[in-house]
Amino acid sequence: MSISSVLLKALVGGLAVVGFSLIGHGGHPKRFAGLVSAAPSVAVASLAITVVLKGADATVPYAQGMLIGSAGMVAYCLASLYLIERLHALVGSILAWLAWLLVAGGLYVALER
Amino acid sequence: MEGRRLLEDDREPVGFDWARLASVKPADLGLRFGFGAVIALLASVAGTLGGPRFGGLFLAFPAVLPATLTLIEKKEGTTKAWADASGGTLGALGLGAFAVTTVLLLRWNPAAALLLALLAWTVVSAGLYFLFRASGLFLRQDRLVSKARS
Repeated sequence: MSISSVLLKALVGGLAVVGFSLIGHGGHPKRFAGLVSAAPSVAVASLAITVVLKGADATVPYAQGMLIGSAGMVAYCLASLYLIERLHALVGSILAWLAWLLVAGGLYVALER
Repeated sequence: MEGRRLLEDDREPVGFDWARLASVKPADLGLRFGFGAVIALLASVAGTLGGPRFGGLFLAFPAVLPATLTLIEKKEGTTKAWADASGGTLGALGLGAFAVTTVLLLRWNPAAALLLALLAWTVVSAGLYFLFRASGLFLRQDRLVSKARS
């Protein structure tokens, strides 16, 4: 993959995150706005560019990996709910990455065997 | 977590306040752009080094959430950050629906598949939100997870 395509993904991914975060910022109540926190912002940008550059067949495995990652995302959000109240947002939400790593990493290793 | 504040917030009607967008600081947007760009970069590099399925894992990595939750806590308090993460859980289930739709339909028609996948995310996450809101499941979830047991 060329450097320009990687940089294009980074640019479009960053812009997609900004777009979705603005939707979340204006939305209310907070729980409803929070849905956007787990929006497929980077995914839709990255998958679209991969389809254009490599075709649909080469993009499907990325989506399959994303499906595994989304299980980790659910675990992350549940763990962050538990940890934010006890350790505050910064520490709690960073520590919750371990839940993503355990679930997404564990499923990936188990399924790739 | 302040149960009463959470309850008041939950009772707000669902909507979008355009005026709130004026209060967004460019620095906050820059931070989110940075996190988004880095995770897209990471997914690309991981895909090149470890294979596309491994790279795909990072398309569902919660890179932006720590920044988002920390900013919300700083400006609006821990209860609002908690509420955001609570909604994020349902959004994450929608993310699974996005991925399933993409896997199933991408070879048929890539553009339509991505649009339908976005629709699947919207329907599943918003549908679960309204289900949780109407049935009182949010309250049960709060009681289960919160140390305040409110």
